Amino acid sequence: MKRTKSLAVVAGFAMVTLAACGGDGGDGGGSGSTSKDKFIDPASSFELVEAEGAAPEVEGAEEGGVITVLVPSDPGPEDLDPTNGWSVLGNSIQQALTNRSLTQYRRNPEGGTEVVPDLATDLGTPNEDFTEWTFTIKDGVKWETGDPVTAEEVKNGILRSFDTETFTSGPGQAYTVGWVDCPEDYAGPTKSGDCDAVQADGQELTIRMSKSFPDFNLWSTFMAIGPIPLENSEFPAYGRAPLSTGPYKIPEGGFRVNESLRLVKNDQWDPATDPARHQYADEFLIKFDQDQEKTDQILLSGNADAATTVANSLGATNANALKEALGSNYIQQTGQCISTRTPDYNKIPQLEIRQAIAYGFDFDNVQLASGNIPGVTRIPAQGLMPPGMAGRKEFFPAGEQFAYNPEKAKQLLEEAGEPGFKLTYIYDDSDAETKAGAEAEKAGYEAAGFTVEMIPYQEDAYALFDDADSPINKKLNLRATNWCSDWPAGSTMIPPLVQTGQPYNTSYFSEEEVDQRIEEIATLPIEEQADAWGDLDEMIAQKYLPNIVTAYRNDLFGAGANIGGFTGDAAMSAINYKDLFVKP
Amino acid sequence: MSIPGEVITTHTEDSVVEDATAPRELQAGRSPLRIAAHRIRKDTVAMVCLSIVMLFVLIAIFAGTLADLFNVNLTVGRPAEQLDFLGDGMPLNGPPNYGFDPEHPFGVAPKTANDNLAYWLYGCRTSLVIASTATLFATLIGVVTGLVAGFAGGVVDKVISFVIDLFLTLPFLLMALIIAPIITSRFASDPDYPTIQKFGLVAVLVFFGWMGVARLVRGETMSLREREFIQASRVIGMPTGRILFKELLPNLVAPIVVAVSLMLPGFIAAEAGLAFLGIGVTQGASWGQTILQASPYFEKYPLYLWEPLLGIVILVVALNLLGDAIRDAVDPKTRR
Repeated sequence: MKRTKSLAVVAGFAMVTLAACGGDGGDGGGSGSTSKDKFIDPASSFELVEAEGAAPEVEGAEEGGVITVLVPSDPGPEDLDPTNGWSVLGNSIQQALTNRSLTQYRRNPEGGTEVVPDLATDLGTPNEDFTEWTFTIKDGVKWETGDPVTAEEVKNGILRSFDTETFTSGPGQAYTVGWVDCPEDYAGPTKSGDCDAVQADGQELTIRMSKSFPDFNLWSTFMAIGPIPLENSEFPAYGRAPLSTGPYKIPEGGFRVNESLRLVKNDQWDPATDPARHQYADEFLIKFDQDQEKTDQILLSGNADAATTVANSLGATNANALKEALGSNYIQQTGQCISTRTPDYNKIPQLEIRQAIAYGFDFDNVQLASGNIPGVTRIPAQGLMPPGMAGRKEFFPAGEQFAYNPEKAKQLLEEAGEPGFKLTYIYDDSDAETKAGAEAEKAGYEAAGFTVEMIPYQEDAYALFDDADSPINKKLNLRATNWCSDWPAGSTMIPPLVQTGQPYNTSYFSEEEVDQRIEEIATLPIEEQADAWGDLDEMIAQKYLPNIVTAYRNDLFGAGANIGGFTGDAAMSAINYKDLFVKP
Repeated sequence: MSIPGEVITTHTEDSVVEDATAPRELQAGRSPLRIAAHRIRKDTVAMVCLSIVMLFVLIAIFAGTLADLFNVNLTVGRPAEQLDFLGDGMPLNGPPNYGFDPEHPFGVAPKTANDNLAYWLYGCRTSLVIASTATLFATLIGVVTGLVAGFAGGVVDKVISFVIDLFLTLPFLLMALIIAPIITSRFASDPDYPTIQKFGLVAVLVFFGWMGVARLVRGETMSLREREFIQASRVIGMPTGRILFKELLPNLVAPIVVAVSLMLPGFIAAEAGLAFLGIGVTQGASWGQTILQASPYFEKYPLYLWEPLLGIVILVVALNLLGDAIRDAVDPKTRR
């Protein structure tokens, strides 16, 4: 029944945690002005860089040592099969340490994020309308067994991601199925044989798209379309111990589901072929499902073990103590993630009421009650595109920042002719924080002139929102979605949340105008697309407001005193494992 | 008129006989329970415990009035205004960092800024309501099954004994963990969910709490049923129901009272324990819930944890001691 913990598992790269109203969301209200930590300038990050050769050395890096990674409140991936990898945690670890793909992210010395080649010699060559991409696989990249990585194996990986029945949690269902030009019923090489949309010729790899896909070299950072050996790679056995191409490999028995993952050096990895990864530490020991409070206390204790420990999340209760104790190894990482409230578009057609909800969302109190720190881990938000995303536009959905303003909300309700409008939403009452957050939210709405009914619900909220026949779902008129981008582009934020019929469009928003524009943008020249998404974001928010973005989400990471190269990965909303080392 | 106090220390058979015979004429018409009540009145520990329990009962009954009196309520706090969230997250007024805050006599909770006193008062009500209802039903079921099994004997006894054994083998905690979410998912959308949840919890407690009484009553019944007065009533043709309730039951009152007095604190502790595990009462206030929320703050804000903890400890210890005293008072072997 305690579903809250497992909700973190769902924390997909694409679709995040729970939503049950009150979870951890926050809205654009509030006195976020107290925030001391500003976001990095949006447009400055995520450059495409044609890097070659070995990765630049991290300053002061030393070899040796064992790094322990503590992962609180997240049981980790169920298997390590690259094709199934669509969670922030699993992908950030595997893609940084064990599984190479065609392209990858790199953090540059200025703190920005770059997309650089990985297995491919460059960032791929598209044809004119981005319907065909060609990559050349580097020579001299080897599996941990010593066998060379071939284009044929990358092709196998791409085709394998079509098998959505086997790889139920994989990202292939959203991207390869949607974009790679294979027949409708194609289900991967083991079930359907070959598909001519992907051609491997020597080291050359050509992928034909069904429609224009300019972001392919961002999608190709996913290990799900990296190489998979042609032999001995059956699911689920392969998911227990996938072969490594990266600087670390999984030793015999190194992966224990929901417990731990041990990684040791891979001597077949050639640094000269990898422009972003390093091999400083001797070993990584990743421990899943840790207790948040204990993790905080270990880091605070500062003893010898704690000095080489990295924490994947820090508890809000100890955040200030940890900030003081850890110094520069305390990171507040901007995530590409948003929390939203989604008023039912059919039941609440009046824009005024939707705006009144935004004004009635008591940002500071809700965030505090749900265990977040306003202005630090949750930032008042505006549009669907989070800071750091190319094309993001600075605007306010209603002319000003939504801040908690019960008077204004009442006035808007009056204007809509619905004073005392009743909001119905679900919350998870088995988790103290979610419950407290939901209650604070309720108090805020009630002070703003709404009537509120909260329904306790402890199962997967997204499954409920997706079930049109559920009597509970029928009663709701305010839902919630938390979402992270798959790569920093508006195309992974806006369509999934507002397009008609999308599973995470939980407001059931449907406007011909918006759907058409989404289709149009995909056909625009690539350099115009980013700004077009920004404009669309503004238009949707100001005209329709189907999603009230309650907060941009930041993560807190911490590491002991002897951990060096400790930075955050803005693209993955995770720790940047590629640069970690142990100070002697 | 009363039993002399100086024989309190003697527990020999002789003294029993002496006691029982000497003032016989004077005591005519005094029932065993009246004797027991009289003894409890003489027992200082029992009387102190009784007054503590009565105090908690009064708190539970008048929780709302008391909350109004202190001007506190269950509505959510205003953490942004009441907590130093950019500092250490502790309240800006009152414990643990500042002195007594008359607006919130027990302080406010970190994170939510809810009023601790209001939650404590209503938590006391939750504890007592659930524990006493569960005790009532568990006793009823236990007494009836025990009486029937013990008196009927034969196949009926075998069947009932088997059921009792079956229930004893089911691990309580595990079953509670399984049943609670089923109840929740079935009734979560019901407008009366908070009430249903409480009754669900009562049902779980009763379901796994009646066997002790049933066994006890069955054993006592089996030994009583062979006594002369029962056989006499059978011979004169008294209906079975009348034998059970008019002849047997009055003789069982003492063990039942003892069982009840020890069951009540057990249920209070179990209720808090389940709430701590997150499967008890999640709607409204509960001491166990508060303990769960307070445990991470013990270092910084110990008072937050001590309040519900002391509530439970004092109430349970008082009830246990009272139960012991009642057992001593009604047990003929300790007749003094």
